[in-house]
Amino acid sequence: MAHRGAERDFQTSARRMGTSLLFQLSVHERELDLVFLDHSYAKPWSAHPDASSARPTRTLFVTPRRQHESTIESDVPIDVETVTSTPVPLYDNQKARSVMNECERHVIFARTDADAPPPPEDWEEHVNRTGWTVAQNKLFNKTLKALQSDRLARLANEGACNEPVLRRVAVDKCARRVRQALASVSWDTKLTQWLHTTLVETLSLPMLAAYLDALQTLKGKIPTLIDRMLVSSNTKTGAAGAEALSLLLKRPWDPAVGVLSHNKPSKLPGSPLILVASSGPSSSVFPTSRRHRFWQSQLSCLGKVIPVATHLLSSGSGVGVLQCLEHMIGAVRSKVLEIHSHFPHKPVILIGWNTGALVACHVSVMEYVTAAVCLGFPLLTVDGPRGDVDDPLLDMKTPVLFVIGQNSLQCHPEAMEDFREKIRAENSLVVVGGADDNLRISKAKKKSEGLTQSMVDRCIQDEIVDFLTGVLTRSEGHVGTEPRDQDAEKKKKARDMARRDLAFEVPERGSRPASPAARLPASPSGSEDLSSVSSSPTSSPKTKVTTVASAQKSSQVGSAQLLKRHVQRTEAVLTHKQAQAQFAAFLKQNVLVRKALPPGTSSCLFEHVEEAEKEDLRAQLKRQQPPSPLPGSKAPKRPKIKVALVAQGDPAGGPSQGGAPEAAGGRPVTMTLGQASAGAKELTGLLTTSKPSASEGGVSTGPAPSVVPSSAAPSGLHTLQNRLVATSPGSSLPGGPPSAVRPLDCVQGEVEGAASASSLLQGLSFSLQDISSKTSGLPANPSPGPAPQATSVKLPTPMQSLGAITTGTSTLVRTIPVATTLSSLGAGPGGKPTAIHQLLTNGGLAKLAGSLPGLAQISNQASGLKVPTTITLTLRGQPSRITTLSPMGTGAGLCEEPTSQALPSSSQRLPPAP
Amino acid sequence: MFVRNVAGTPGPPITVPTQIAKKPKYRAAWSRAGRLADQTWSFIAMATEESGDAKAEPALSSSTNRSQKASEKPDYALKFTLVGHTEAVSSVKFSPNGEWLASSSADKVIIIWGAYDGKYEKTLYGHNQEISDIDWSSDSSCLVSASDDKTLKIWDVRSGKCLKTLKGHSNYVFCCNFNPLSNLIISGSFDESVKIWEVKTGKCLKTLSAHSDPVSAVHFNCNGSLIVSGSYDGVCRIWDAASGQCLKALVDEDNPPVSFVKFSPNGKYILIGTLDNTLKLWDYSRGRCLKTYTGHKNEKYCIFANFSVTGGKWIVSGSEDNLVYIWNLQTKEIVQKLQGHTDVVISAACHPTENIIASAALGNDKTIKLWMSNY
Repeated sequence: MAHRGAERDFQTSARRMGTSLLFQLSVHERELDLVFLDHSYAKPWSAHPDASSARPTRTLFVTPRRQHESTIESDVPIDVETVTSTPVPLYDNQKARSVMNECERHVIFARTDADAPPPPEDWEEHVNRTGWTVAQNKLFNKTLKALQSDRLARLANEGACNEPVLRRVAVDKCARRVRQALASVSWDTKLTQWLHTTLVETLSLPMLAAYLDALQTLKGKIPTLIDRMLVSSNTKTGAAGAEALSLLLKRPWDPAVGVLSHNKPSKLPGSPLILVASSGPSSSVFPTSRRHRFWQSQLSCLGKVIPVATHLLSSGSGVGVLQCLEHMIGAVRSKVLEIHSHFPHKPVILIGWNTGALVACHVSVMEYVTAAVCLGFPLLTVDGPRGDVDDPLLDMKTPVLFVIGQNSLQCHPEAMEDFREKIRAENSLVVVGGADDNLRISKAKKKSEGLTQSMVDRCIQDEIVDFLTGVLTRSEGHVGTEPRDQDAEKKKKARDMARRDLAFEVPERGSRPASPAARLPASPSGSEDLSSVSSSPTSSPKTKVTTVASAQKSSQVGSAQLLKRHVQRTEAVLTHKQAQAQFAAFLKQNVLVRKALPPGTSSCLFEHVEEAEKEDLRAQLKRQQPPSPLPGSKAPKRPKIKVALVAQGDPAGGPSQGGAPEAAGGRPVTMTLGQASAGAKELTGLLTTSKPSASEGGVSTGPAPSVVPSSAAPSGLHTLQNRLVATSPGSSLPGGPPSAVRPLDCVQGEVEGAASASSLLQGLSFSLQDISSKTSGLPANPSPGPAPQATSVKLPTPMQSLGAITTGTSTLVRTIPVATTLSSLGAGPGGKPTAIHQLLTNGGLAKLAGSLPGLAQISNQASGLKVPTTITLTLRGQPSRITTLSPMGTGAGLCEEPTSQALPSSSQRLPPAP
Repeated sequence: MFVRNVAGTPGPPITVPTQIAKKPKYRAAWSRAGRLADQTWSFIAMATEESGDAKAEPALSSSTNRSQKASEKPDYALKFTLVGHTEAVSSVKFSPNGEWLASSSADKVIIIWGAYDGKYEKTLYGHNQEISDIDWSSDSSCLVSASDDKTLKIWDVRSGKCLKTLKGHSNYVFCCNFNPLSNLIISGSFDESVKIWEVKTGKCLKTLSAHSDPVSAVHFNCNGSLIVSGSYDGVCRIWDAASGQCLKALVDEDNPPVSFVKFSPNGKYILIGTLDNTLKLWDYSRGRCLKTYTGHKNEKYCIFANFSVTGGKWIVSGSEDNLVYIWNLQTKEIVQKLQGHTDVVISAACHPTENIIASAALGNDKTIKLWMSNY
């Protein structure tokens, strides 16, 4: 054991030194790694002689204590000139600065009257306060003061090397003060609306930009209140202005956006199931904290995450704490058992925050799990620290990782060391410098070290991955020899081996198979912003909770049964393994699509759909389909498209059924091809049992019924989301070679007839910040055969109106996969197309264009168009495609864009529109 | 020594108007700018060149031990005497590009001079009370001045126009400083507050009120993230420029009034002058005093001091015994005293790139002298 441990240390260290992306970021105990690299028997200085199971503590961002030179001789030369060089920021400074100034660039959209000259610099003297009530005066002054402080911070930080982080901190502070001011009037709707209108009218442009920044930040935290506050001005500015503004406010910017998207976390080996133990009974009144939800989505990059929620009966009245705890432990335990029975081969990992961490530990004592991760472990209790002789936790045999904050109130690093000595299980400790119980670092820490919470979170996640990778790679060996893994054991092993090789031999994270989940947007100001979740695969807490609940309930529905059914339907035989991989993929995809559209937008989009019925635009997104998809599919006038699909995982084999269903349907509306049906089986077993009808029928009722029938693939599983987006992992491709589990990309498209460009903007906005251009080494394989990494998206365009261009770039786009199909850009009656174009070209698109050369063209095109235009952007983790549906007539000609030619991706070409 | 040589040179040969030197009435004991009774005569500002160059040469020619000597002692010699102010001069500053020297005075005007030849360039009129301090913007295009009329003015040096008047202090404004980016100005006042102003709009963004006596000096560090302020209450405070929060307060044991404070060029240390004839170099991050420079006289006025880093590393300060003192920064010994002024040397400034010192004296003298050295 000890020997094995040392080996692992060596491996981990070697890997970490070479690869961990954010490793350099943290003030890591590098010597620890160096020591391990020295000799296989070398021990770090901090290794405990007695507690062999306690691995040396790792620290993240813990500032080393300054060595106090006891004697400062007066004759030590004093250097008054040399300026200590400031460390280069760890994020992409240029990009960070660009997002940082977003509000300044677009401040004009907030003005109610864009033509009027902006208020002069001495606007303050021109504010006419006559008629203001005391409350109004007070509110205005408070807000003004906050904005002035922010202005000072901006000026003072200008040009600083870590200006983006400093700005972020300052904006957060300003937002907090504005929020306090608004809270002081109890968010009185009239007052807040008045304040917003007044500020927009009177503030000078720089101040207004600061105000927008504050709003943007608050919008991420308290969206409803802010929305209410903006209502009145929206009616004044008109739809386009309001949309541009809401787009601007959609998501707070994060300085680290580039780094995080460049460096995706990798999947854990062995495709473990990650059970998240909640730290309390769930309640609708007190929803899970944003931070926990954010972390749930982060963890989903590592493996399938299953939150376990505990519901109290009768709203918890009369339930004691002990009872409640038992209930929580029971819930997790039963979930573990259930998973064991359904997926005997999958490693199970328990993760919990605070109390949830304790629950996880307790369950790990009772049930077999592969590893436990305790985030913000509460070591101290009212009765003193844990670890007494009768503490059941000491009997843990499961490898456990503790992550604690240096400034945690419920824990102390030194007490933790004592505790760890007593634990029999292999255990590791990570101390996050300057962090609290929830592993949030302080503002001072952010400033002094140029960090953001999102960077810290990613580092913590990397530590978790390191730990779990070690545990999993080892345990896989064990598990493989255990009797209960009888079936598919060989294959599994082979695959695991392959995966392990991948992990170790392809250390470069960027080149690993990307998971869509990795495209998490960096969370802006701290990871708590819900908004950031918009792009993350599994972050919708509600969905998840319900899923789990349903899974629990319906455990009696045999998954095997479902599996059978699916298999029959698809007539595809998949190996168990594939099924597993696809299952995971499907889940992701499903969730992704769901979140692709923010809930708030659904209604307006729906309207657009109706309008769109008058148009002839259709877009189709297909995957892995032969280019001759629609011979028979005439574009019906009616169907509007909603689109799309996603899915990708295993390389699908050839010309598949994709075309068939469509032809059958006669309407090429939504086509999705997807994952193996077996995947669906697992899904059903685990997640959707409660809605068997949906999964079996393959179609969930959407608001646009016309779509549904047409898209029904034989075994398709279609879900219409938000009335617009249909996700349908559909027919499986038989015989696809197994490949690493690849989460799917999700493509979502919408066609709107409406004038507003909002959806385009939305689509863009999802992706803007997260796009990074990086040439991927992944070959796009045109052939239908097993192409490991190739994803094909087809955009058979409706013939009459659209020409389609697919750019199969080798650009690696890490974004939320979103495809937006927009029609009538710029042609709309009510909109302010120019303004929006400006926004697009100046801001969003410019950013995009930086990484996707082809896009600039598109934007130019788009801005010049007066006819209905459709732009589809498909941003994926792999070879990305940018599709432009051009106005009628241009159609086929556009197919050959220079960019697309340059790229190796012939597979993604669209058939020219007839 | 050269000190003596310099001392021996005859005073400025220009015809200084026979002035009935009235006893200056200072607005306060610590005031650096004397308030003189109205004096109505004006005369042309001019510089006179010293003829003492030859004397400096021999020292240069002595070859071998020269380098060693150079590291130990400067050989500043008087080159020019700039005459033009009609009242006590309160402050002299070289422009960051090294081209100009600006001087402010109790006669309510600012005069710009050539830094190398002492040539009179222009006069900036506008304040209606004595001016206590001036500072250049980083691009040398603007000046800010602090005046007893409770305002600060931002000047465009090229045109000589006042661009902005910063109003807000409720008492004499005594000191001012641009930040390195020159988008902010800080000012210290007799109203015991420090204000931070936005240059572009001329608005006060923040008022720091943590001193309980007049603020005698304010200064930004080299990257503009910190502000240090010194006050008569004996406390030096370090502020975070972005938030206006006080990060640190430095207090000496017996709490003498702080007359001057300044960051070292790299921002790691602070030079603090106190009215007990002492200059101290502090490592503010550790809160400890590293060096103490004494020997000069400073009990009454807020006298400027400076780091001289163009040749040897010196500390340069005026003194109330009419001399300019130069200390070795490391060894703390006095390496040269410059004699020539006939009143308190209130201000001494060091040229950014050349070994030039400008010194200015109060109302009995009213002149500015340029000194140059080979080291």
